[in-house]
Amino acid sequence: MSLPDTAPLGRRRFLTVSAGAALAATALPGCAASVEDSGSGGGSETLTIMSVENEMDKKTIKAAEAALGCKVKFVLYDTTKLNAMLASKTPPDVVRGLGATDTPYFAARGVMTDLDQYFAKSKALKVSDLDPVNDVWRFDGKKQGAGPRYGMAKDYSQDSMFWYRTDLLEEAKLDLPSETEPLSQDEWLDMGKRLVKRRLGKVKVYGMNASGLSTFCTIMGMTASAGGSLFSQDLTSVDFSSPEALKALNWYLEYARADIGPSVSNPNPDGWDWPTYQAGRMAMAGDGYWFGGSIGGDAKLAKVSRFAPAPQLGSHRISPCFGATGYWIPKEAKKKDLAWKFFEWYFGGKPAQDRAASGWGIPTLKSLHSQMPQSQPFQKQAYKVQQQELKHFSVLTFSPYAQLTALDASINKILPGAVKSKTAAGKVADQLNADMNKQLANGKKVLG
Amino acid sequence: MTLAKRSAVYMVLVALLVLFLSPFGWLAITALKDVGELRALPIHWWPHHPSLGNFQEALTRIPYLAYARNSLTIATIYSVLVTLASAWAGYGFARLDAPGKRVIFGLLMSTMMLPAVITLIPTYLVFAKFNLLNTYMPWVLWGLCGAPYLIFLFRQFFSNMPKELEEAAIVDGCGHIRIFWRIFLPQSWPVIATSLILSFSWTWGDYIAPALLLDSDRTTLAVKLATGYVNEHGAQLSNLVAAGAVMYVVPVLVLFLIMQRGFVSGISTSGLK
Repeated sequence: MSLPDTAPLGRRRFLTVSAGAALAATALPGCAASVEDSGSGGGSETLTIMSVENEMDKKTIKAAEAALGCKVKFVLYDTTKLNAMLASKTPPDVVRGLGATDTPYFAARGVMTDLDQYFAKSKALKVSDLDPVNDVWRFDGKKQGAGPRYGMAKDYSQDSMFWYRTDLLEEAKLDLPSETEPLSQDEWLDMGKRLVKRRLGKVKVYGMNASGLSTFCTIMGMTASAGGSLFSQDLTSVDFSSPEALKALNWYLEYARADIGPSVSNPNPDGWDWPTYQAGRMAMAGDGYWFGGSIGGDAKLAKVSRFAPAPQLGSHRISPCFGATGYWIPKEAKKKDLAWKFFEWYFGGKPAQDRAASGWGIPTLKSLHSQMPQSQPFQKQAYKVQQQELKHFSVLTFSPYAQLTALDASINKILPGAVKSKTAAGKVADQLNADMNKQLANGKKVLG
Repeated sequence: MTLAKRSAVYMVLVALLVLFLSPFGWLAITALKDVGELRALPIHWWPHHPSLGNFQEALTRIPYLAYARNSLTIATIYSVLVTLASAWAGYGFARLDAPGKRVIFGLLMSTMMLPAVITLIPTYLVFAKFNLLNTYMPWVLWGLCGAPYLIFLFRQFFSNMPKELEEAAIVDGCGHIRIFWRIFLPQSWPVIATSLILSFSWTWGDYIAPALLLDSDRTTLAVKLATGYVNEHGAQLSNLVAAGAVMYVVPVLVLFLIMQRGFVSGISTSGLK
């Protein structure tokens, strides 16, 4: 056998070549290429903010750098990445979160900074000026709404309220909902059934969307309105079998089986309500005040859109907020003072005023409520309804032993099959209890 | 086979082809629609006003080509390194003897059953400890370590090569490094092609690792495609995502078209078929 007539490749030469190749390969990617000039602003310090693209866009980053005199590094929000950063004790300085559901989870794990001392010293953010919604960012170890403040909401909505199209209601010869008295959930469902339009058996116009921000939260809110609670008092378990929770679950199953709106078994392909509502394919959208921000940008729709109080399942009138999106400062953050400066600018400065005037949510400082838009008739009506609804706001405590995404995953796993097979609500409740309580027990074990 | 039978087979094949291509076809059609047509009812199976504007906007709304360059760099580094390292390890398992070889190979294969999600956070912690976040070093290290599936592929291929070839080389004075480099590797083109295609497409399409290990201004196209096309209120711009996604599959498609003969042959000759 003859080998190719080139220089022999001995062990030494092979190892030398391999080592050279490996070195070259490692030198090349030592520093990954940046495609954008993020963090190029003034100042020697860098503030790292974990957020989403549309909230922390280039314009906002530039404005923050100018206002704070530092560089701002944007990190895209990702739950896995956040958990990894927290575990490695290299968290961002400021993190975006949903106050209503994130606060107990992270506060119980001791990874959030207690902001009480910062609020006490601040001239821009006074506790007396804070809207009550900011209480969802408080947790005393047993319940939300009490204890230290761990974050602040940027804006909020009472998420069980809904918007409707007067043209579609009039076409169906339905009375417009009252601006002060809430509908019962059954009345609302009945309206949805009468508003749905089908073509060849497929839904052409949704009668309503009652799924809200999350199905778990929707059922949790309805249960509270019926006078019950989905979580046990010590927050270590859920009980879908209580009469109030069962009533709520039954209602949701009836809604999903009626196929009159997006649900766990038939999600909206648009991903959110606005495109569907704008296209005249949804008569009632179960969205809070923030939805008016979209409506304000469409003159035709503004004429036919109105806002209504949150429907109630029982006699205990409540109108909770399941989001209260805002920011918090991790305990291990390196630039806490700078992070607080960002808080004062973002929640009390020009960005807060701009948000208040945009109609994309209720401002979280009472002093900014007057800046909510009221120039168009639909905005005046929404403002009036919203102001009346505020007194029914209440904080519903979420469990620190599981994240909302995990509980919603249980719902998404169990409910679609139950909707199709017409399983009895009692049996579905047992399945949900078993699945979620396992997760909550694991969370409890981790926390001790 | 009679003409009727042959026609029936072709009809079934064409039906399957249409079925498998339909999701991609729908994606391409969506990329030609404007926002209004996306929500039109009855559905517009073909856009009334098809436009390539979405492709142009997809390229400019985010620095598409710069993110594509990042994806290409990572995918190339990883696929070349992992192919070489896996070939080398596969050769060792196929042709060399060492105490405990079977046990080590069994252990290596068992790691294929370990879900990647379990090692996500620990991996992040290790790379954070060594200051390797926000660099491409993790892909270099992963590449240099080889991949169990590819090692298995190479081992199967090398095991089938005649013993006489190796013996003749040894008689001619070759050591194992030279045998691997000069005889076995040049003959394993089909497996190399398979390995390159598989490892390139794994990395090109990977979302989790770049999302976790790289900052958003240094990340890859897979991550940016999923998060970059949103309006000022965070709602996804589906037609731009579709246009971006159509362009995103092109490199993998080209790679496959160039190497498809090798790919098919690699799968069949390594005993995996």
